[in-house]
Amino acid sequence: MGSLDSYLPIFVLLVLGVLFAALSIGVSRLLGPRRPHAAKGAPYECGIVPTNELPRRFPVRFYLIAMIFVIFDIEIIFLFPWAVIYDQLGRFGLVEVIVFAGAVFVSFIYLVADGALDWGPARRARSFGSEPGRTTESAVRRVGAAGGRAE
Amino acid sequence: MTPFAALAPAGLAIPHIDYTALLPELILLGGVLVLIGVSAMTPRRLPTGVYATMTVAIAAAALVASLRLWRDVQNHGAFTTVAHSVDVDGFAVYFLVLVSCILIVAAIIGSGYLRREGIAGCEYYALALISGSGAMLMASANDLIFIFLALEVLSIPLYVMAGFDRRRPTSQEAAIKYFVLGAFSSAVFVYGIALVYGATGSTNLPEIGAFLAHNVITANGVLLAGIALLIVGFSFKVAAVPFHMWTPDVYQGAPTPVTGFMAALAKAGGFAAFLRVFVATFPTLRGDWQPVIWALAALTLVGGAIVALAQRDVKRMLAYSSINHAGFVLIGLQAVTTKGVAASAYYLFAYAFMVLGSFAVVGVVGAKGDRRHDLEAYRGLAARNPVLATVFSVLLLAQAGVPFTTGFFAKFYVIAASVGAHSYALAVVAMASAAIAVFFYLRVVLLMYSTQPADPGDEATTPGPAGGGVATLVRIPVGRLVVQPSIALGLAVSVGVTVVFGVWPQPLIDFTRAATFIFH
Repeated sequence: MGSLDSYLPIFVLLVLGVLFAALSIGVSRLLGPRRPHAAKGAPYECGIVPTNELPRRFPVRFYLIAMIFVIFDIEIIFLFPWAVIYDQLGRFGLVEVIVFAGAVFVSFIYLVADGALDWGPARRARSFGSEPGRTTESAVRRVGAAGGRAE
Repeated sequence: MTPFAALAPAGLAIPHIDYTALLPELILLGGVLVLIGVSAMTPRRLPTGVYATMTVAIAAAALVASLRLWRDVQNHGAFTTVAHSVDVDGFAVYFLVLVSCILIVAAIIGSGYLRREGIAGCEYYALALISGSGAMLMASANDLIFIFLALEVLSIPLYVMAGFDRRRPTSQEAAIKYFVLGAFSSAVFVYGIALVYGATGSTNLPEIGAFLAHNVITANGVLLAGIALLIVGFSFKVAAVPFHMWTPDVYQGAPTPVTGFMAALAKAGGFAAFLRVFVATFPTLRGDWQPVIWALAALTLVGGAIVALAQRDVKRMLAYSSINHAGFVLIGLQAVTTKGVAASAYYLFAYAFMVLGSFAVVGVVGAKGDRRHDLEAYRGLAARNPVLATVFSVLLLAQAGVPFTTGFFAKFYVIAASVGAHSYALAVVAMASAAIAVFFYLRVVLLMYSTQPADPGDEATTPGPAGGGVATLVRIPVGRLVVQPSIALGLAVSVGVTVVFGVWPQPLIDFTRAATFIFH
């Protein structure tokens, strides 16, 4: 046996885990009352009963704003500990942080060039090819009464 | 002073960083910033060829830096830097060279695809370079935490690239599936690191190795559980059965050149770390983990080969064949010898070029839209484009392990390493699976050279759902296939490496032999 002994607790835990899962499901199957109800089949069994699908689409630009938030958030995460022990890191730390901030800045420029801060009338996205076959009619699924615009 | 000064560690030692040792990675990441900066600063969209050229230049610079490092390591010996968490040894530099080569070929092939699909922008190239730097870091990482970070740098761009064809639902599905399973396997991997750290008191690989060599752990349950989780994490990344479930869907759904890149790069990076962690760090515990790798290798070999037989979709078939290849690389790991490591490293080199080339051909045959991947699309390919058919035949036969290709030597060396380590049964399993694999490679080759048209009765009797949708897909396309110059160049490189080093094997073999660990 020898080396196999050390596997025994893992094996026992595995068996216990399977038994517990099987027992819980089995017992609730056997003893639990069955009263099906429409509300129980709903996605969330709480809150207001949904009457129709969520009708609004929101512009993908919100994600770009979120991206701007994320990159600066990450920058702060790294700047903070650097600032705390600035004295000990010395010139090495300063250079590293400048390089890091440079990388973050390039990604910020990239986002701005991609139209993250353009809030005027819709402009064609830069980075991917245009999609001539794609129109509002083909891409937007109208929801709500009689296919009208749900506002 | 600030109120946080109390949080600062008392004596902070800044590790010495040898920047020349990290030059290949730094070139790639600096190149990414240049690419992104150029794309942001130019008012008009540049053609994809400009970015491809820049990427090739960046990767070539990384290749030159890697070769310089290789010379340094061979002349002055291996060393570590950044507080022993980065290894610069033959093994690491070997993979730096390989990854640079993969990036060059992938950029050339990818530009053809992007031009055909009308996708402009630098994103594809930037993501590829970031991912490549992750693979490089993974090969030279000497610390479990570092390996984890490198693994994420390698994987996250690949998740995005898998979903690059964002108009095709299967591509989106591939990205989500790869992301969820990749994140899951990373979590398993980190848990493994935590347990190994708990058992040995270090995340540094040589320190772990030294600890295990000098101490006998009487209750080693935690350590073994940690090692088991590390095996699971790595097996997910390199797609070993039974952790391969994501592979066929992701390989099929991702844009075809991305699939080739992903297969070559993720396998190279994943296996580089896998080999270093297990062969160089845990050799004292081989009695515990070697049987597990044995079983994984056998399952991967047989599972990949047999399931590939049943595939009608060529991308899916190549996905299972890549699983089969992972099994072969695992054989080299299972041997736990220097020969085994060299054999695995050779296999990864040979495989990278074969798979990049194969998926480039599949991308060409897939035509605009990247959808024509049924086996029937290959019927009579030789008549439509004889050169392309010949190239694909060579690449498939190399994958099958036919002599005078690198594929043959790759299979030969892992099996020899396995026999050398007295794993005769595994060697037999490997040869059997290679024999099975020949069938599905040859089936494609025969289809390409078949002059017989598809049975017209088929179309009439089996109309697909929704008014013959399947029948229209299956109909043989006619006319010549357009092979763009960049893809032709990429294919020439892939086939060149595969055949030249198959006929004249010595340089690559010597190169592999010198790819050894610093700590062993």
